[in-house]
Amino acid sequence: MAHVLKLLTENQYTQEKVENIYRDIHSLKGAAFLYSFNEIGVLAHKMESQLEAVRDEVRAPTKIEIDAFYIYLHRIEKHLKEIFSDNENGNENPEKGKLAQEVPQAVINKEKMSSELIPKIEKMELDKIQPQQQVKSKEKEAEGNSTIRVAVSLLDNLMTLMGEMVLVRNQVLQFSSQSEDLEFLNLSKRLNVVTSEIQGEMMKTRMQPIGNILNKYNRVVHDLSSELHKEIHLSLFGSETELDKSLLESIKDPLTHIVRNSCDHGIETPDVRLKSGKNKFGTIAIKAYHEGGQVVIEVSDDGKGLHKENLIKKGLERGIITSAQVPNLSEKEILNLIFAPGFSTAESVTSVSGRGVGMDVVRTNVERIGGSVELESVAGKGTTTKLKIPLTLAIVPALIIKCSGETFAIPQIKLEELVRVDPSSHENKIELLHGVPVYRLRGRILPLVSLNNVLKLNSDKEKNQAYNIAVLNADHCSFGLIVDEILDTADIVVKPINRLLKSLQVYSGATILGDGSIALILDIVGMSKTVQLANDKDAGHSSEVNSKNQLQNIHRDFQEFLIVRLNSPTMHALALNDVYRLEEFPITRVEVTNKMRVIRYGQSLLPIISINSLMGYGNENLEKNEKVRRKETLSVVVVEKAGLLYGLEVDEIIDTISTDIVVETNLALQKGTFGNLSMPDQVIIVLNAFEIINLSFPETTVKPVFNSGYSSLVSAKGKNLQILLVEDTVFFRRELSKILKSDGHEISIANDGMEALQILESNPTKFDLIVTDIEMPRMNGFELAKSVRGNKALSAIPMLAISSKADKNYTDKGLKAGFDIYIEKLKPETLLKAVATLSLPRKVA
Amino acid sequence: MSQSISLKSEHKANELFTTFYVGNDFFGIEVMKVQEVTGSPRIISVPLAPKFVRGLINLRGQLATALGLHELFENKIQNTENQMSVVCKLDGNLVSLIVDSIGDVVEVNGKNFELPPDTLPPNIKPFVKGIYKMEGQLLSVLDLSRIGKELSPTMEQNVS
Repeated sequence: MAHVLKLLTENQYTQEKVENIYRDIHSLKGAAFLYSFNEIGVLAHKMESQLEAVRDEVRAPTKIEIDAFYIYLHRIEKHLKEIFSDNENGNENPEKGKLAQEVPQAVINKEKMSSELIPKIEKMELDKIQPQQQVKSKEKEAEGNSTIRVAVSLLDNLMTLMGEMVLVRNQVLQFSSQSEDLEFLNLSKRLNVVTSEIQGEMMKTRMQPIGNILNKYNRVVHDLSSELHKEIHLSLFGSETELDKSLLESIKDPLTHIVRNSCDHGIETPDVRLKSGKNKFGTIAIKAYHEGGQVVIEVSDDGKGLHKENLIKKGLERGIITSAQVPNLSEKEILNLIFAPGFSTAESVTSVSGRGVGMDVVRTNVERIGGSVELESVAGKGTTTKLKIPLTLAIVPALIIKCSGETFAIPQIKLEELVRVDPSSHENKIELLHGVPVYRLRGRILPLVSLNNVLKLNSDKEKNQAYNIAVLNADHCSFGLIVDEILDTADIVVKPINRLLKSLQVYSGATILGDGSIALILDIVGMSKTVQLANDKDAGHSSEVNSKNQLQNIHRDFQEFLIVRLNSPTMHALALNDVYRLEEFPITRVEVTNKMRVIRYGQSLLPIISINSLMGYGNENLEKNEKVRRKETLSVVVVEKAGLLYGLEVDEIIDTISTDIVVETNLALQKGTFGNLSMPDQVIIVLNAFEIINLSFPETTVKPVFNSGYSSLVSAKGKNLQILLVEDTVFFRRELSKILKSDGHEISIANDGMEALQILESNPTKFDLIVTDIEMPRMNGFELAKSVRGNKALSAIPMLAISSKADKNYTDKGLKAGFDIYIEKLKPETLLKAVATLSLPRKVA
Repeated sequence: MSQSISLKSEHKANELFTTFYVGNDFFGIEVMKVQEVTGSPRIISVPLAPKFVRGLINLRGQLATALGLHELFENKIQNTENQMSVVCKLDGNLVSLIVDSIGDVVEVNGKNFELPPDTLPPNIKPFVKGIYKMEGQLLSVLDLSRIGKELSPTMEQNVS
């Protein structure tokens, strides 16, 4: 329908055409009233009477009238849509549906008829527009009569089945070539031809003519030109060019943006145009065509073009370029400034464009689908924007290489160049820089990585052969990948691989090569990351084992504390492992429920515990803390215990420290503390966050959880045991072993599950009990328990889990994994009781 | 799962299972979940992948990930000759389970179903959904969704 009016806008007016439109509107009105769609009826009536004037006076409609028609049409469309959606929602009125079907029919009829009309006025335009319209009317007919909707997934399935069919065909052909049966040969030939044809047609099913989206711009341009008081014609070429449907969708927005830009910035107002000797009408042309395996969409306008001086000025203003760079800029670089974020050449921001978010978004969107944007502009003559879009998404050009007999593919986008290094030549060789291979590429040092090493393959390649280096570009850093053999380039079809393999960070997919074998596609960016990691590790290995252990030990012996100020002259500290988050709340957010202070925290309430009142420091102001007190915020250390969060209120959160000083527990201690930390300049009291929470909320104490065979803790002193203590945190390791030793047990220590398992396997009979943390690197407590239980030699050793994570989820999991008892971390009494319990022989349940 | 089995048994008391052996152990998968059974395919190994991922298979133009059940269950019995591939669809991906040999398609009755005993070895137990008592032998029903979890590393991280 919009199409009809477009013709009118262009003054291609004929009496016959007006008659046609008039008739259509009239029948639309009739149908609308018949099925009591009064709104549409009234609108149609208004249109009709307006058109009547035009018809009777036998003149071209004025611009105002045409605008009015567009508005009416728009409203009718809206109503129709509403009716359709009502209909889909199972509306009870069947008549509505009938009309809904009938009305579009009328609309379509009208479009058909009018497009068959031959424009009379504006003969200049005639040649251009005529063939285009014929194409359109054909399309319209096709759409109206013989299209069906098909789900994309169905098409995909058909494609894969097609692939299978092609393979079977190949087998049949191979078989028939050995056969002497003439009839069979004949049949297989025919099968061959038909299959190839089906394959070709199948490929076309996903393609859609680009005209489907281009036609929408008629309206965009019309609306904009009336809004901007300009006169703009839009001409479309090659709208039958076909493109993959998903690509079509994703170029819609960038294209809209470019068209809007052309209307607003490109085309001048009519008086300016006349002054500069141009036609009053500005023209925007959108052309679509195939070129070199890509689809090119060209948007050109005959407007004022881009002024380089303006671009440079703006670029300097926005700090995108510096004045030193200006003389060196090539024409292309200057034009490309327009793609920089925040760039806009419009003098003022209008509702249409000029906010400067435009062209960089266009470029990112187009590049996301593997396309590119080019810009050409002649000042005073116009601007042309070219979008180059690949035909489909799934096909990627790649370099096929070989390493240790396995085939891999490298996407061409990541590939910069290929270098061959002959080790016999002296000038051109691989050098070792601190044990790392590098290569001087045109004076630049290029780090080298061997694919064999990255993938831990055993290369059978002889040394002293020439090296093949693929220079790759990963996130702006280049590196050279040494491969055994470079085979070929090929267009490959990317097939996804499952998440487990993707998580290796080395592969982005896989592809099936022409001979049916599989090649993994290397993920260059991911690989550059793993390479850095691997190198770190390698450096560790190469140094002496002893020194490495020492280093690790030194590193591990540091324990981190959070230093907080309380209402006391002494500083206090919390083990940083216990801290879940640090928060500052305005005092006003504190609310009171059940005599307890709480703060709404995320989805739940965070109970606030004042360490001051708990430790007996009082809440009265000490003079020197006055400043702190007057603050209107509450400093809170959030601690997670058994799956719940608690807020410990402190006066001030000061800092974190990392120290290897041991916490002294010899002094008689207050409840809620671990001991003292004797720093060189001061003594810091180390708080036990969990005990503090227990003291405030006795009911939250997590009861030990038992596996079958044990039912309660025994307080009796058991015999002295050989205990393997598994704990990754230095601080707790020391605490735990101290507690256990105090009860007369002998302790061996492992830093994590992996180490524990090694110790156990080398000495399966030594230990009477395993006490282990849950959260540990490399191998956690659950895994350790499973492994121990799965090992016949070890499965009889009792296991005690001790963790700060003691909510039901964890304890259940623990029991399932094979722990005998699961207790909450660091309550010495409970720990000793649990150990004693486990030292007794297991009761038969 | 036991629920759905009992539901099915109301309509039709019997269920069909594709059976196969890993070492000497007898396993089964619901027939409807199996896409096809093929002979030992050509497997392209994936460097750096965990041991139980044997590699990728070109299954008529589609990629399937080959999982060695032998490796997954840490089965001690060595038998790498004449292995077969049971192809299933897991979360939209094709997975080929490499097994030692293929048994018959058997019909079992829902009333012979039982949950797996707790004493199964820990590397097998999570993958077994239940046991069917058959004459002469016990059929362990594989839990395909659990194997699927093994292939999605985010789930693994949750466990650790």
